[in-house]
Amino acid sequence: MICPRCDDATAFQFFESPEKGAWELYRCPRCFFVWRSTEEEEVIRPDLYDPDFKLNDERIRQMSDKPPIPPLRRQK
Amino acid sequence: MAYNSLRDFLRRLEEEGQLLRIKEEVSLEPDVRTIACAATKSATGPAILFEKLRGYPDKQIAMNVHGSWANHALSLEMPKHTPVKAQFFEILRRWDRYPLKPKRITNAPVKQVILKDDFSLFKELPLFRVNPMDGGFYLSKACVAARDPEDPSNQNVGMYRMQVKDHKRLGIQISAQHDLAIFLRKAEEINQPLRVAVSISNDPSVPFVAVSPLKYNEDEYSMMGAIRGEALETVASEHGDLDVPAHAEIVIEGAITPRKRFIEGPFAEYPGSYSTSMMQVEIEVDTITRRRDTLIFENLYTGEPWTEIDYLQGLNTCATIYKQMKADFAEVEAVNAMYTHGYCTIISAKMRFGGFAKTLGCRLLSTPHGVTYPKIIIIVDEDVDPFDLNQVIWAMTVRFRPERDLVIIPNAPASTLDPAHLVRGLGTKIIIDAARPAYPDIPLSDAASVVIPTGVPFWIEEIQKRMAKP
Ligand SMILES: [Zn+2]
Repeated sequence: MICPRCDDATAFQFFESPEKGAWELYRCPRCFFVWRSTEEEEVIRPDLYDPDFKLNDERIRQMSDKPPIPPLRRQK
Repeated sequence: MAYNSLRDFLRRLEEEGQLLRIKEEVSLEPDVRTIACAATKSATGPAILFEKLRGYPDKQIAMNVHGSWANHALSLEMPKHTPVKAQFFEILRRWDRYPLKPKRITNAPVKQVILKDDFSLFKELPLFRVNPMDGGFYLSKACVAARDPEDPSNQNVGMYRMQVKDHKRLGIQISAQHDLAIFLRKAEEINQPLRVAVSISNDPSVPFVAVSPLKYNEDEYSMMGAIRGEALETVASEHGDLDVPAHAEIVIEGAITPRKRFIEGPFAEYPGSYSTSMMQVEIEVDTITRRRDTLIFENLYTGEPWTEIDYLQGLNTCATIYKQMKADFAEVEAVNAMYTHGYCTIISAKMRFGGFAKTLGCRLLSTPHGVTYPKIIIIVDEDVDPFDLNQVIWAMTVRFRPERDLVIIPNAPASTLDPAHLVRGLGTKIIIDAARPAYPDIPLSDAASVVIPTGVPFWIEEIQKRMAKP
């Protein structure tokens, strides 16, 4: 399965509706996007996903840490 | 009698005509968000209870629980038509009852079922995407309890957005200005996990106080007691000796993994726009405790204001700022910090002398909330009700002289969620002095205001009384 947000090809189904047959959930191991099989096409189709919200390696690299990781305290 | 639980409050909302049950089956996307958004835009702003969710036979969703002034008044056990300003002064009165310490009990409804190994957050909660471009399914009204790693007697409860990323994994956004960021820094400095307990679907005082900007050492549970008028019942978490509300529907326990960051977001926030994706911390979930009956999952819709969040974080933010400013300046009459979480804040006060409005504007900017959020600060005289925008705009049109009364502070700290920024976290603030010029300033050339006839307040009530008769 291809992740609609980052186009990673290793996304997979990880859950199905407790009431069988209603929908399935998929998740992307790279960008952690989760989606339901019954959502709008603009949310679940890689080619229709809003380009402003797409993720690629460069965008992921540029993300800053929130909050920043502090230096380790020196042992006394 | 204070509400004991979310269920208690929903019952009251229903009695007062402020709850709509959606009995037909709905889709998690887009029906829940569509109907929740419509509720915030409708004239009476009822809470919505979705009774039948496609795919989840034994779960329900509650939305817009605080999402109107009527619901807000009822959450404080006041009549539903109570004016906003009267709700504000009632909150101030209850604020002074602080601290009313929580009462720890042992036999709590939220402990009816305890899950320790084999569970999935997606099975336990009817999770859904709140807005279409959110990076996942979010808990948007959950309250997080944690303790200071260096001083465990200091416990904090706050509302943080959480992205459910896997069966047992939550992303959480912790901003630098929040108390939890201080706990996290201390834990990360010694490379220790930070225990947290996340409670969902609480009595209305719990999220109301969790979003209030209290001081670092103030105890949220004791403030919830003050707001409710009765001690809040809590119970010990399974791990880490945290207090969790005993009557929550469900509590998720876990630990924040130290010194690691993972992709989180975006998520549509209160300015009505999406925040960006950033690298944020995650919670490894290890325990769930919950009630046995059909679970009601309370969540919050955010979009173009006003939505539920504007009510939920409105008057508590006003009250916090008011108390902090009033302690230094007795002249302060009321504070309205309700617009986009205080991006626009209006202060009414007596003017001690000319230019005093600028003093008040600067004092606001040195309160904990004021450091970042306020961007447009309007100061009006004590005779102007800051909750009545007709009066505020009137004061600006007839008392504000832009060449003398406008202060611009460029490159100041700003909310990182403000979509108008050029540099995220930096912005320009303006103080608009819309108060009458006081001595030694030059008075307005035609300063003779019309006086309202003395009998008017009596006749306002009288007219209402007579009109109410059949
Ligand atoms: Zn992805």
